[in-house]
Amino acid sequence: MSEFSLYLLQQLINGLTIGSTYALIAIGYTMVYGIIGMINFAHGEIYMIGSYVTFIVIAGLLGMGIVSLPIILVIALVVAMFIASTYGWTVERVAYRPLRGSNRLIPLISAIGMSIFLQNFVVLAQGSRDVALPPQIIGGWNFGDPSTFEVSLSYMQVLIFAVTFISMTLLTLFISRSRMGRACRACSEDLGMTNLLGIDTNKIIALTFIVGAALAAIAGLLLGLYYGVVNPFVGFIAGLKAFTAAVLGGIGSIPGAVLGGLILGVTEAMTSAFFPSEYKDVVSFGLLVMILLFRPSGLLGKPEVEKV
Amino acid sequence: MNQFRKTLLSLSTAVCIMGLTAAAQADTLKIGLAGPATGPVAQYGDMQKIGVMAAIEDINNAGGVNGMMLEGVIYDDACDPKQAVAVANKIVNDGITQVVGHLCSSSTEPATDIYEEEGVLMITAASTSPSITEKGYKMVFRTIGLDSLQGSMAAQYILNNAKPARVAIIHDKQQYGEGLATAVRDQLAENDVKAVMFEGVTPGDKDFSALIAKLKKENVDFVYYGGYHPELGLILRQSAEKGFNAQFMGPEGVVNSDLAKIAGDASEGVLATAPKSFDQNPVNEARVAAIKAKGEDPTGPFVFTAYAAVEVMTNAMTATKSTDSEALAEYIRTHDFDTAIGKVKYDEKGDLTESTFLVYRLHKDGSKSPAE
Repeated sequence: MSEFSLYLLQQLINGLTIGSTYALIAIGYTMVYGIIGMINFAHGEIYMIGSYVTFIVIAGLLGMGIVSLPIILVIALVVAMFIASTYGWTVERVAYRPLRGSNRLIPLISAIGMSIFLQNFVVLAQGSRDVALPPQIIGGWNFGDPSTFEVSLSYMQVLIFAVTFISMTLLTLFISRSRMGRACRACSEDLGMTNLLGIDTNKIIALTFIVGAALAAIAGLLLGLYYGVVNPFVGFIAGLKAFTAAVLGGIGSIPGAVLGGLILGVTEAMTSAFFPSEYKDVVSFGLLVMILLFRPSGLLGKPEVEKV
Repeated sequence: MNQFRKTLLSLSTAVCIMGLTAAAQADTLKIGLAGPATGPVAQYGDMQKIGVMAAIEDINNAGGVNGMMLEGVIYDDACDPKQAVAVANKIVNDGITQVVGHLCSSSTEPATDIYEEEGVLMITAASTSPSITEKGYKMVFRTIGLDSLQGSMAAQYILNNAKPARVAIIHDKQQYGEGLATAVRDQLAENDVKAVMFEGVTPGDKDFSALIAKLKKENVDFVYYGGYHPELGLILRQSAEKGFNAQFMGPEGVVNSDLAKIAGDASEGVLATAPKSFDQNPVNEARVAAIKAKGEDPTGPFVFTAYAAVEVMTNAMTATKSTDSEALAEYIRTHDFDTAIGKVKYDEKGDLTESTFLVYRLHKDGSKSPAE
């Protein structure tokens, strides 16, 4: 392969890696929107908390002398998902449930408040500096010609693709096959009617927040390990990008969130590849505006039908 | 509700008592200490605090200034220009007329407008942007050299010592980082060395893989980074992971032990221009020991520049026998001072007449040594 195509391949790998993680976070936004029609602005903060928990657990396990990587990762994942889910559930209980049925703007504001609260809570509890973790998963494959351009694909990147793909598949199966999943779909079609049919919609909404938070924790773990750095402010930027991905793909649609995340990631990488990288956000958000102009409901979103 | 009233009552009582104690200690002189106590670059604020508090302690132990004891009051601007303006207003309202700070150039600059107007003497121990002293303000000084000096020192080093084949210049699009990057680029261009890349990154970004792939493709062997350590740390770490092994160089904004924490082994051998290691100077031996005895780190680049800022203020107060900030500013502009950073002399703009920078090589244990 020529140098140019190798370079293109490398940037594609980079873009897909970033995109996968946007997608994982974006699902949390899209699920909550799909069911109750509201944006959970505290979602980015849940992701950040997931990262912190991962770091604390890994540092703790290493300190206890446990060195087996798979064991560390599994324990960190389980603990991070559990704690993040607890936060997700609490956010719903504190900032959404008491406001159910009120004007849509009110829970939006309370979610923003929740996000600021969580961010500052972590600043106070953990300090505002970057916390770093030495690389845990080292190495990868290199291919191409070292004299022109060598493409590198790290094990960490492969792990990110694999985990994203598996979580996506499991979530899709859960939504389409399980009883709970069916109840979720019913809620997203008509919340009031589902309630009348004897389904505890409060429980289903709480479940949505919990599942979204668990996915954010997975993203927190993966990105925490990939970048090796976390601070209390990472949730804001990641949340913003993931929200963009969700809107791009069509908010409310799970495959849309995945597609939106991948498109956003690849666009960013390709823009950085061929233009000065400061144009990265200009191009990706320009793309968002264009898509919304021509497809207001996003790429895979269903056009909003006014409920009578 | 009753509970709430009680809390309110006890709170207001507490405020009253605090007000009384403040009034009781009329013979203390407050020095404002403005910088980031929180936020991503809070570590630099700590350095400034360590220096100022050590200086205040030493001066108070020696009997204070003109019979008054000094007291440092910390104001947190989080390196946010908007918050810096709020902090400056608060300092003015609190009746403080001497300030050490601010720290980030982008915070210092808006704050200077307020200090100049309200007659507050300000000495920054860390802000290196040239534009801060270009407005012709009378109340604004620094105890650190300028970006333009730092940039040209970096450029000289690149031209004479590093002699790389292909240079890339990356910056964080902020006043400090881009200013330095531009200075380095321009000086290299004057000497017919053209940077193959000149690009900005977004502060707070975590993923630099696309940028690194591009650097790799351009066969860059030397990267100058204008900005702070959180981004450079990640760039170094990700470069090592992706097999991109160029020599990196940065300004004093990357010099702290967090760089080594973030980048690990990848931070070994990074070059940086930084204020001279005043903690290595035998003159400061006792001061270093005193700071270490308190369990604090005396090696940060701004510790002794902050120490010197307090010295300049108090020396001027002793000499003029006043605390009138306008008289102090006039005295500072026209006299020499012997401080922890050596002899300090100011030009008309309030800048140091001598550069305080040196090129260092950073190590993965967080230490630094003068570069060859």
